[in-house]
Amino acid sequence: MSPYTVGLIGAGGIAHAHLPAWLQLGADVVVHSLVGAPELVAEHGGRVVDSLEELLALSDAVDVCTPTPTHRDLVLAAAAAGRHVVCEKPLALTVDDVTAMIDACAAAGVSLYPGHVVRYFPAYAAMHDAVADGTLGALAVQRFQRIGAAPRMAWFHDDEQSGGIVMDQMIHDLDFARWTAGEVVRVHATRTTGSEGGDGPALPVTAQVILTHRSGAISYVTGTWGHADVTFQTRFEVVGDQGLLQHDSADHQPFSANGLPAVAGSGYRPTVPYSESPYLSEIREFHRAFREGVEPRVSALDGRAAVAIAAAANASIRSGSAVDLEVLS
Amino acid sequence: MKVGLVSFAHVHAAGYAAALSAMPGIELLAADPAHAERPPSELGGPTLAAQLGVDHVDTYDELYAWGPDAVVVCSENADHRADVLRAAAEGVHVLCEKPLATSSADAAAMVAACEEAGVFLMVAYPVRFSPAFAAVVASSEAGDLGRVRAVSGTNNGRVPTSRAWFTDPARSGGGAMTDHLVHIADLLDALFHGQRVVSVYAAANEILHPDLGVETAGLVSLTYADGVTAVIDCSWSKPAHYPTWGGLTLNLVTDAGLVDVDPFVQRVDGFSESARSPLWLGYGTDLDQLLLAEFLGAVRSGVQPQPDGHVGHRTVKVVEAAYESLRRGQRVDLDWS
Repeated sequence: MSPYTVGLIGAGGIAHAHLPAWLQLGADVVVHSLVGAPELVAEHGGRVVDSLEELLALSDAVDVCTPTPTHRDLVLAAAAAGRHVVCEKPLALTVDDVTAMIDACAAAGVSLYPGHVVRYFPAYAAMHDAVADGTLGALAVQRFQRIGAAPRMAWFHDDEQSGGIVMDQMIHDLDFARWTAGEVVRVHATRTTGSEGGDGPALPVTAQVILTHRSGAISYVTGTWGHADVTFQTRFEVVGDQGLLQHDSADHQPFSANGLPAVAGSGYRPTVPYSESPYLSEIREFHRAFREGVEPRVSALDGRAAVAIAAAANASIRSGSAVDLEVLS
Repeated sequence: MKVGLVSFAHVHAAGYAAALSAMPGIELLAADPAHAERPPSELGGPTLAAQLGVDHVDTYDELYAWGPDAVVVCSENADHRADVLRAAAEGVHVLCEKPLATSSADAAAMVAACEEAGVFLMVAYPVRFSPAFAAVVASSEAGDLGRVRAVSGTNNGRVPTSRAWFTDPARSGGGAMTDHLVHIADLLDALFHGQRVVSVYAAANEILHPDLGVETAGLVSLTYADGVTAVIDCSWSKPAHYPTWGGLTLNLVTDAGLVDVDPFVQRVDGFSESARSPLWLGYGTDLDQLLLAEFLGAVRSGVQPQPDGHVGHRTVKVVEAAYESLRRGQRVDLDWS
């Protein structure tokens, strides 16, 4: 059997996380990107191809790691070529675009999976398992917080291209809140941005989203893009009528040092040292889904629901009012 | 100085009694006339007074006939108005348990009555006196934080079970939003120099302890005049057998970075085999003592104590708006005119 070939499109931050995972799983990876592909393969492996057409022709599956505004067309191209698709989150900026992507993949008989990698972070997965097996009883209230240095690429800071912090960063926790507490029927959100300073984006950017779930449970999701010295940190607390679970990524560190030279933190892209990379766990499930038909823990419909919640939050930020959400079937 | 304790209805009364008894130069007298109306399992009246080593009289008339310089009102929330108005009518300074009232109209009447009578009205918001909170205020005042852009606060606790009136909205005013929104609203009032909350959005449910008939979980978003948003989790979400009563935290997103304030985090951790539960031995500053010292110091010096009735009123108004938002399922604007 010839090796499984993955066509990785894009060479930004998330490509640096996905490429080593595919390689570790034994896939042959061809990379196409407008910029950065040679540097990416020089660092991790794989090989560069010169065009999207060549990439599609060589691949068994495609992994879309490009900026959000390009997701729709690239997924449609992959579907037209009959290739399974992994697409980084958010799947797209609008529910309509995601629906078009889902429909195209369904019509082509290929699978589409969104990169909601927080579902694969061990602490989050452990919490979800406990919620799913009833350890906490009926969920009442959840809080999720995500803090990191702001992404450096300018497109992240353009709402038209990225959907802002809610669509790009907080969508992880919006997806997770829905995974544990179920469909969301109402969204209220606010966002504030610091003053313009120097040549970079205005920082900090921070948003606060309150969700009401169909079950009656309520969730608070907040995210911050801070300046370059802000260390990546996540927190959650989930409470049901039978107990609570809480986690802070700053706690429970299996290694720490006192008196050693400072080790630079990783500001934007989270890492989980001392346990398997959640990106590898994620890609392994998608790989298996493509080859063996075993459904992963996240579906394209989940990705669409997350986009719907984030889009509603952005609408609430613009209007100043809470937004009722129609649950998509 | 003569200090009267008005009612043992609130569980904090016992703590105030103990702290006041330990202070030199304080004579203490308590009256808890309504204790017979509360369930027999809830200690009160002369029995609790005897346990606390405090003298007790059966009526407020007797308490005021004794000639107190100041009173501490620990009655049920719905009785705060009448009890504070009585103190004002008697010309006695008053420290009132939080929330100041169960309606903004009541709170305004209490503030007006105390001002007219020339007596101090202070609200029992002890977290104001936390050294951790003082540190963040000092950082902010020194300009170390730049501007505060957003706040996430939590004030969570176990569902109150030791006093039945806490979960009777006619007596308490409501559930978790009444009980746990005001502390953080007060801290932010202080941090933001009395800046007004211009809009409020609330979401709540009764999933924890659904038998009570009041909201037991709540998330409330407050937007201030300068656009800063604070979201407060005011849920009674600590399980009944949690190792401590609960806690209060603030997370500030500022121009300089993020700041966490956790006034009740200081503790020794352990585990009790006999109780088969974790042991948390808290050891922070005694905030009730600092709160009472502020009040009694004001009575002695004649300088208005803080937090005063105005912030008590403002925070009650925020709670009222939160309930209005719940009813409407929508963000509501506050009218401060």
